[in-house]
Amino acid sequence: MEQILANGVYLGAQYAMIALGLTLIFALMNVLNFAHGQMYVIGGFVTYTFYGQWGVPFVLALVMSCVTLAILGALIERFLFAPVIKGSAREESTMLLAAGIAFFLDAVILLVFGEKQRGVPKILDGVLNWDFRIIMPYDRILICLLAILSIVAFIGLMQYTKTGRALRALAQDRTAAQLMGVNVDRYSMIGFALGAMLAGLVGGLLVTITGVNLGMGGPTSIKAFMMVMIGGAGVISGAIWGGIILGFMEAIGLALLYQYGDITYLLIFVSLMIFLAIRPQGLMGKPWG
Amino acid sequence: MSTLLQVKNVTKKYGGLTANNAISFDVAENEILSVIGPNGAGKSTLFKMIASFTPTTSGEVIYQGERISNLKPHIVARKGVVRTFQETTIFKSMTVRESVVVAQHLRAKASLAGYFWGSKTAKEDVTAFEKYADELLEFLGMSEISNEQASNLPQGSLRALGIAIGLATDPKVLLLDEPFAGMNHDETMNMVNLVRSVRDERGVTVMLVEHDMPAVMNISDRIVVLNFGEKIAEGTPSEIQNNEKVIEAYLGSVDDEIGM
Amino acid sequence: MLGFTSKQLIGVGIFLFMIFIGVPLIIGATGRWDFYFTLTSVALLAIASAGVWLTFYIGRINIGQGAFALIGAYVSAILVVKAGWSFWISLPAAGLFAAIVAILIGMPILRLRGVYFAMITLVLTQVVTLTALALPITNGASGISNIPLPSGISVFGIPILPDFAGMENTKLAFYYTACIIMILTYAALYRLVNSRLGHLCRSMQQNEELASSIGVNISYIRIVIFAISSFFGGLGGAMFGSIAQSVYPSSFQVADSVNFMLNCFLGGLGYVFGPMLGTLVLYFGWDLLFEFGKYQMLIYSTILIIIIRFLPNGLLSIRFGKGGDK
Repeated sequence: MEQILANGVYLGAQYAMIALGLTLIFALMNVLNFAHGQMYVIGGFVTYTFYGQWGVPFVLALVMSCVTLAILGALIERFLFAPVIKGSAREESTMLLAAGIAFFLDAVILLVFGEKQRGVPKILDGVLNWDFRIIMPYDRILICLLAILSIVAFIGLMQYTKTGRALRALAQDRTAAQLMGVNVDRYSMIGFALGAMLAGLVGGLLVTITGVNLGMGGPTSIKAFMMVMIGGAGVISGAIWGGIILGFMEAIGLALLYQYGDITYLLIFVSLMIFLAIRPQGLMGKPWG
Repeated sequence: MSTLLQVKNVTKKYGGLTANNAISFDVAENEILSVIGPNGAGKSTLFKMIASFTPTTSGEVIYQGERISNLKPHIVARKGVVRTFQETTIFKSMTVRESVVVAQHLRAKASLAGYFWGSKTAKEDVTAFEKYADELLEFLGMSEISNEQASNLPQGSLRALGIAIGLATDPKVLLLDEPFAGMNHDETMNMVNLVRSVRDERGVTVMLVEHDMPAVMNISDRIVVLNFGEKIAEGTPSEIQNNEKVIEAYLGSVDDEIGM
Repeated sequence: MLGFTSKQLIGVGIFLFMIFIGVPLIIGATGRWDFYFTLTSVALLAIASAGVWLTFYIGRINIGQGAFALIGAYVSAILVVKAGWSFWISLPAAGLFAAIVAILIGMPILRLRGVYFAMITLVLTQVVTLTALALPITNGASGISNIPLPSGISVFGIPILPDFAGMENTKLAFYYTACIIMILTYAALYRLVNSRLGHLCRSMQQNEELASSIGVNISYIRIVIFAISSFFGGLGGAMFGSIAQSVYPSSFQVADSVNFMLNCFLGGLGYVFGPMLGTLVLYFGWDLLFEFGKYQMLIYSTILIIIIRFLPNGLLSIRFGKGGDK
């Protein structure tokens, strides 16, 4: 039982970070970042390259992942999303663009990093064994803590800094934010970069545990969508809840249902559909329509 | 005149907030009744409940002896109680004429399948609709713009279009949500005459929500006044103009010091 | 006649000529028999994409057509292999089954709009794949293979459709079949769009509340349209299974659902024939790029991004402007 809890917390923290990035981008631009999973993968590969291949200290490698994704995100927003959002008659064009970018990043990953599964040496050896009630390798605990720290830092950024306030204003009402003097273009770019960075950071963290490979992009994106749907799109607290809930559901499902095969996710999906049918805005989403 | 529609003790609560509290009044057939009140009084919410676009928390709306509150909105529309919208709600990329033709679909005789296969009844329907649309647009003085895309129209025409769409359904009761909003004096007078002729020549009972006092006083047979979700007065325009509670609601309470 | 301009009729005539006579001649002359498969795929994918286009017609972004294609493929395969039905009967049955599933799922989810609906349809595709993996009747991960070619149909001993197994050139036969179904699909789509139902859909797409206020039963129509869309999806999927002679859980995935959506968007959502054009361009484009090996996806997606960046309203907007209904 406690093991399930521990696993849930661990998974939840990672997932929450992914969901946060996605929801931030959605809140700012009303765009579903289809490429979120691919950004996660790129983050993993960058950390792998710096830490695994070149022996750079782990934290520095993580920073490199963050920087890479932040730059990538900023470029994508500035040169692709911004003009399309302005020039298009329909909002679906941005969704289309996001899909195209997802494909593009997949291709880039293939060419730059290859198709092999990659892993890195453990950053921390040893396993915590609390009376056999909770068994968790130390590196997982560390990663979990780092994830939680990042989430806290992110919330702090959003609540207490000028940048965070500008982003929140932008997310709530674009026009009002403009009227208050927020440079909408610049902050859209910053926000997207931040969202991308979060995805990359998780990728970097998790490469030490689960490794990384090209094929993880798509499924990760879908998981991210699910979390955002559970918690309510565009709402920060919703994303965190969504991540935690999905993490727990996965932990519980894997522990209890493994004998039935791969139906954990099937059940999660079906419950999600039923949940959304009853409460389409998710847990914390604003009621609409 | 007989009572066509009854609002009975209609209450609407959103969580802790009471938008409408036990509102009751009757609407007689063929009258023009306006609902007025300061901002936030709950007028639009009331209208939405009458047309059943929002469920009541308690109370009911009776139309021709039948309860229409809390039914699906399209059913209420089919029964003849049709609302227009406060925002400029239109079919953006249809022309004026197309919008009015579409709005008549309720009166189609042919089935959907008939339309698909191009049956004779379907063709007759289409001809009838187009004819009626032209007639209606002429009545409303909109013939010149009938081929304009709705999104290109100025405010005043948009309001008229909203009314045209509502009228095209051949309603018995038309609920107009702020039909004079954003209009200058001339446009308002035009609209007032229009609304009056809708009642006079087409026998439609009209209910309005409005802020434009002169227009309301001009056009209404009776007025219902709401404030903070409660009904505070009901009567003819002259009765309402002299009603203390109404004056207080709009102007705030008397200031003793200034002695006004 | 039939209310079309002579220009339109000539256009249609040329199109039909190209499909039924022109293409086989060209393929025969150049010897590129593989193009049959390519074009057949285009036709079938265009059918599925037509369904997605139709869902868009009521204002919903449908990224779940892959689910219905997979359902259709499995239903047809199961009926043919395990129940011994004729393929030609299993085809509409597959479509119908997909439509029924759509009605059941549609009832709760069609109230969602915009990205919310899109997200849940994305999830749907994944669910169906997982279900296919889990159910015994679908043979789990091994899928259903060795599906026999479509048998002939004869009425009172008079052959109407030949048995595919006895044919020399099954590729050509599949090509013709796919094209015929595609043409029928688009003809139906065109007719629907220009009928009263089409008007009602347009009114709903532009303003659901207003449509409600003029008496349109929006929930009912949404479900009907979604069912028809999914019917097309099931149809396309079933034929695909027949051509590939196998169906696996991976036959249609999320990426396919996304591709159907792309086909529609690229061709232009305002045009009935948009998805056909979009599918042709995207699929052919993808196929032609095969020669670039591992750069295939890179080039493909780059072109895609460039097109979206500079033509956000779809390809047909080059000629027709921002959107029409032809």
